[in-house]
Amino acid sequence: MIKKIPWWLGGILMALLLLFTFSVIGANRPIGASTYVPYFAGILFDLDPDKYTYLKEIHNPASWEGVMLLGVLFGSFLNALFITKTFRFVIVPYAWKKYKNNSAKSRLFWSFVSGFFLVIGARLAGGCTSGHFLSGMTQTAFSSMIFGAVVMISLIVTGKLFYKENTNDVQ
Amino acid sequence: MMYNKDTSMIDRIISMFQTVSDEKHGSVILVFVIGILFGLIIQYTKVHKFEKIAGFSMLKDTVVPKMLFLAIGLASIGLFFMIQLGWASYHIKPITLGGLIIGGTLFGISMAIFGKCPGTGPVSVAEGRIDVMVGAVGGIVGGLVFTLFYDKLKIIMGSNLGKLSLTEYFESHQGLSVLIFGLLLVAISIAIPLVEIIDEDDPNNQL
Repeated sequence: MIKKIPWWLGGILMALLLLFTFSVIGANRPIGASTYVPYFAGILFDLDPDKYTYLKEIHNPASWEGVMLLGVLFGSFLNALFITKTFRFVIVPYAWKKYKNNSAKSRLFWSFVSGFFLVIGARLAGGCTSGHFLSGMTQTAFSSMIFGAVVMISLIVTGKLFYKENTNDVQ
Repeated sequence: MMYNKDTSMIDRIISMFQTVSDEKHGSVILVFVIGILFGLIIQYTKVHKFEKIAGFSMLKDTVVPKMLFLAIGLASIGLFFMIQLGWASYHIKPITLGGLIIGGTLFGISMAIFGKCPGTGPVSVAEGRIDVMVGAVGGIVGGLVFTLFYDKLKIIMGSNLGKLSLTEYFESHQGLSVLIFGLLLVAISIAIPLVEIIDEDDPNNQL
């Protein structure tokens, strides 16, 4: 059973999925993946959509992304269990141990904080890797190119500053 | 605050499916299948792994940018032709400089530290990654804060400078500009040298 595909095949398949989703026989819209987060937060915390303009504004795209997300969770879960066999409970990823530290507490703290700002950042910009990067740049949108350039720079600067280069002091 | 009126959690989840079913953006089943395929492409290329995304931030793993640029390069050319044939249309996001620059900066920092983004995170959650589940809780709290303070945050997002794109900017050379853009991205994706961090804790990576 195939458990991994090369980057170029993934790129071609992702392009085909994007085009299908854009097409009139598909969904006639782009793929996006961050609008559902505040939408779910609204449901979980029982926020009244009549009172919060943002919930009203995003209702339609967030519903679409919500259903898509359920598909992602469903497919990835079954595939991880039965085919790729990649389902494992893990707290500290391998590269975190190698380039940061061995502490579960540190990893969980940073996960929570970065998860928080990831969503704030995506919603401020109006999209994420899916909505801006993949779908937006496919449409040659200037907004998405600005987003892409800013993200690339801040990602790489953070990678340089946050992680350590040599691994001598680990174990 | 809890369970007032007729908007219980279940009603609102039903409303989510109802909305998709009423809209003309594919049936509920089709959208669900798009999600499955999206997740599987991510899972099989492993671009959701911490090693791939945080590894990219350290420039020690280049699978993410190679795949991303190839997908965008190919899809941009394909989409242009589809639009010419009337099979699709553009859905451009507006330029809001404050939102794009502040949001993009926060997003890039968070992506480097978390090693996930909103599309790849759910794949890791489905694979049992506890750190990503905790990050998802952080994300939901982020979504809550954004919703609560939206009216104030709107001010720093800045004014809408329009939905400009390459095809509008080079109006008389639309096809050529998209072709150059697409081929350039494909060339970049091939030119970036392939380096990878192998997750040595993962028995499935010993292929």
